[in-house]
Amino acid sequence: MDIRQLRPADIPHVQQTNITNLPENYFCKYYLYHALSWPQLSFVAVDILQKYYRLTVDLQVSRPKKTPYDAPKIVGYVLAKMEEDPADGIQHGHITSLSVMRTHRRLGLAEKLMRQSPLALYRDTLGFKQGGVEEKYYADGEDAYSMKMDLDYLRDEALDEESDEEDTVGKDE
Amino acid sequence: MATSQQLPSKEQALFRHVVQNYESKQYKKGLKAADQILRKNPNHGDTQAMKALILSSQNKSEEAFELCKVALKNAMKSQVCWHVYGLLYRGQRNYEEALKAYRFALRLDPDSAQIQRDLAMLQVQMRDYDGYVQSRQTILQARPQSRQNWTALAIGLQLSGDLAGAEDVLHRFEESLREPPNRKDLEHAEAVLYKNTIIAERGEYERALEHVNSVLKSALDKTAVMEMQAEYLLKLERKEDAVKAYTKLLKRNPERRDYYAGLEKASGLDRSNSGDHEKLGQLYHGWAEQSERTDAPRRIPLDFKAGDAFKQHADKYLRRLFKKGIPSTFANIKQLYADPEKKAAILEVAETCLSEETQLNGDAESHETQTNGSVNGVQTKKSKTDPATTWQLSVNYFLAQHYDYHLSRDLTKARERIDRAIELNPSKTDYTFHMTGARIHKHAGNVAEASKAMNEAREMDLKDRYINTKCAKYQLRNHQNSDAISTMGLFTRKEAVGGPLGDLLDMQCVWFVTEDGESYLRQNNLALALKRFKSVYDIFIAWEEDQFDFHSFSLRKGMIRTYVDMIRWEDRLREHPFFTRAALSAIRIYCLLFDRPALAKKGAQLNGESAENAAERKKAAKKAKKDAEKAEAERKLAAAKKANPKAADEEETAKKEDRDPQGTEAFKTAGEKPLEEAMKYLLPLLELSPNNIDGQIAGFEVYIRRRKYLPALKCLLATRRLQPDHPQSHYQSLRFRRALEEDKTTLDPKVNAVIQDNFISQIAD
Amino acid sequence: DAPDVLPANAEDRKAAQAMSSLDNRASESDAPKKEVDLKALNDAMKNLGVAQEQKSSSAGAAKKTEAAKKPLVKVDQVDVALLVEQLDISKTKATELLRAHDADAVKAMTTWVTAAV
Repeated sequence: MDIRQLRPADIPHVQQTNITNLPENYFCKYYLYHALSWPQLSFVAVDILQKYYRLTVDLQVSRPKKTPYDAPKIVGYVLAKMEEDPADGIQHGHITSLSVMRTHRRLGLAEKLMRQSPLALYRDTLGFKQGGVEEKYYADGEDAYSMKMDLDYLRDEALDEESDEEDTVGKDE
Repeated sequence: MATSQQLPSKEQALFRHVVQNYESKQYKKGLKAADQILRKNPNHGDTQAMKALILSSQNKSEEAFELCKVALKNAMKSQVCWHVYGLLYRGQRNYEEALKAYRFALRLDPDSAQIQRDLAMLQVQMRDYDGYVQSRQTILQARPQSRQNWTALAIGLQLSGDLAGAEDVLHRFEESLREPPNRKDLEHAEAVLYKNTIIAERGEYERALEHVNSVLKSALDKTAVMEMQAEYLLKLERKEDAVKAYTKLLKRNPERRDYYAGLEKASGLDRSNSGDHEKLGQLYHGWAEQSERTDAPRRIPLDFKAGDAFKQHADKYLRRLFKKGIPSTFANIKQLYADPEKKAAILEVAETCLSEETQLNGDAESHETQTNGSVNGVQTKKSKTDPATTWQLSVNYFLAQHYDYHLSRDLTKARERIDRAIELNPSKTDYTFHMTGARIHKHAGNVAEASKAMNEAREMDLKDRYINTKCAKYQLRNHQNSDAISTMGLFTRKEAVGGPLGDLLDMQCVWFVTEDGESYLRQNNLALALKRFKSVYDIFIAWEEDQFDFHSFSLRKGMIRTYVDMIRWEDRLREHPFFTRAALSAIRIYCLLFDRPALAKKGAQLNGESAENAAERKKAAKKAKKDAEKAEAERKLAAAKKANPKAADEEETAKKEDRDPQGTEAFKTAGEKPLEEAMKYLLPLLELSPNNIDGQIAGFEVYIRRRKYLPALKCLLATRRLQPDHPQSHYQSLRFRRALEEDKTTLDPKVNAVIQDNFISQIAD
Repeated sequence: DAPDVLPANAEDRKAAQAMSSLDNRASESDAPKKEVDLKALNDAMKNLGVAQEQKSSSAGAAKKTEAAKKPLVKVDQVDVALLVEQLDISKTKATELLRAHDADAVKAMTTWVTAAV
């Protein structure tokens, strides 16, 4: 498994993961809008693929299934954005969508993905706050999942890192 | 203004409103104002053009074109009319004509910033970088105070290959700044990093490193800066510093493979050298120690370790996950199965773990006695699965998947293990094991049983879309197309036009559309199959078109690095396996259509359909029709409930209504020139995925039918190079030879010479 | 007011709004930021123009000298037509290909057919 920033090339598979798992779906352009507006906020978990040459050249395998063009297989993603026009003027972010394939659950992927977005927010010296339930937010009438994260510890961490570049002690997060 | 028709001042003001209304997408207001002008000035070209533009924004493109042509007749010399004419063509993706119209408009009004910008966007969309650079230079000259214009020119230069020019432009803008911009100026922060990527792209890593070090403090994208530093340090072989840099990055994200690869290299360690394995093992051990939760440093050593060391590590790795009961364990290690030795070792570990079931049972019991004292302890114990069951479930599940995997398949054993897992599963809603059970049926070739089993798994958790999706897929594999769409419909938007399929098409659900097409292809319903593959083709066109708005949007947002990344992705968009898969099937159908033209007339049903099948198909069609009617009724109901129902909605419905749901009409048309249609799918395949052997084989099939012998030969030679023993390469060689004999007399001597040299004398069979 | 057709739920509505503002034509702000020095920019641009003209003319010159060393190969239009027909490629591409192979149609076609992918 590999956890990294979402790139435009990941979008077809992110879209597939989303529509496989969740009832709220979006077209490609909406993902592009996220990736091109706030590229630091969205992340993917990628299933590592054995390199093609290993299957065909190094080892004689009866059925080389993979083509050299296999796109990275996305098994989880978090899609996040900033509020474009915050009513109270306070910068804050939203998680637009988060999901992990059933086949890859219980690896703590969702949590690891979720950690990356707010971290990036703080590292970009922006704020991140959201609270309160948004009623009837989704098409099926369910209320939106509401969350509020206290991210002060992340800010401290980010500041720490800046002031102490030579820090070698691993922090237990 | 070059407009020849002057309006009275009141109407002039109204006309400005029309333009404003269009820009703010207030189309109804805009139309009203336009009509008001036209009542008194029925032949006012510019107004007609603006009205046409608004109509096209409302998807009435035919009407818009008609009106714009009238406008041009009334005002041949109006830049507004030509500009709109260009915009209408661009909306239809007729870029060549759009370009001509914009150029005409610009000749009439050389100073129009808007036309110049539209022209530039079109040029970058068409990848006419030289033209783009020229346009951006003109725009910059007119408005040098806007940073966007400098950045845009740099982008153009970079994409056209002039990296030095690009850097120079960015540098000059920075130099002219009176003072350093605000720390929170995102546009500036990003432009600085963008410049750094250009320096690196020029291969000047020393300078790139210096530059990134100099902007360290002010940069906002800290991760990117640290990645840049690490990469350059490694390229410059400053290994000690590179180790530090990658270490820092790994502390931020210990699940990033690239960082570990960088760290290995920086530490001077080489996986292919077994002498380094011990040190590598220590390195990863160190990272594993840092946190109980990270997987990468535990999993990676399995990639390079061998022999006993591998086995020991695999044992430790698997036991840890078995104990935790992580269902994705197999998915996480199956990549190792390409190596038969590793495959055997993993099996041995897992079988050993299986035999330890009883022993662990004892452990768990004693554990429970210990916690018996506390009431709370007992309660939590009971709500959770006990460790012994977790262990057994994990191991049995792992082995079921092992024996189901194509490189280690033994379906009897797989069945044994999954049955045991199902028996052990304490949850009524966890369908994981039932799902694998269905998969084993599928691999045994029993698609009917597989579909039934998957539906049972689905019924265990009706709120879960994942299992719903799986079930639909298995239904398609079992020719239950209408069941599949009903299943999918449980999670699609009720108000979607065109029912569940309409929603899936809107949401670009490529997998379903492709599987549905393949299912129809297996059932010899070629028309419907082709219709689906065409839908995939259209989704890719939409994805290509999607980049258009970002040519201006990204300049406004200032996120340049990711914009350039997008441009490069879009250039290779159809390299994606989603495209290849649909294209290969479509090409197959077109070839069939060419070979048997009668198919197009007969309604696309291949010969040999049994009466039973036909009855089944009719039944399915009837059910599909009924379902569609039901869905439509539901949709109308949902639409009626909407917050603000609009009359426009009905119009939209009419527009989107599919007049050829079975694809028969389109199939007849396709039958007129099947190979020409096939080329649309083939060219991207050959251009973007030349190493895909199936694409080359398909290429031969199309070209040999078109009697284009040299392209056919090119594909044949590629196939032979990619996999010399592929059965098709022999078969196609024979057919090539036979085709040549038939056409021997008419073949151009020069073509003949090429074939002699590269086929006859080279290929013996 | 808002765009004409609005989706029913909040999430779709937000998405639709975001999408419809992507191609916002009226939003380019004209006000330069305070740190921008227009005179300096104009100077920078003048220099830029000169630099690019020089570069393009020197690049042009480089091309010309290269061309002088290697005069443009004259190609037979019959061969161009042959390549267009036989290789199923554009006229421009066919001409290029022939020029790169001393106007030898057999050589040009052989390279094209055997080119490793």
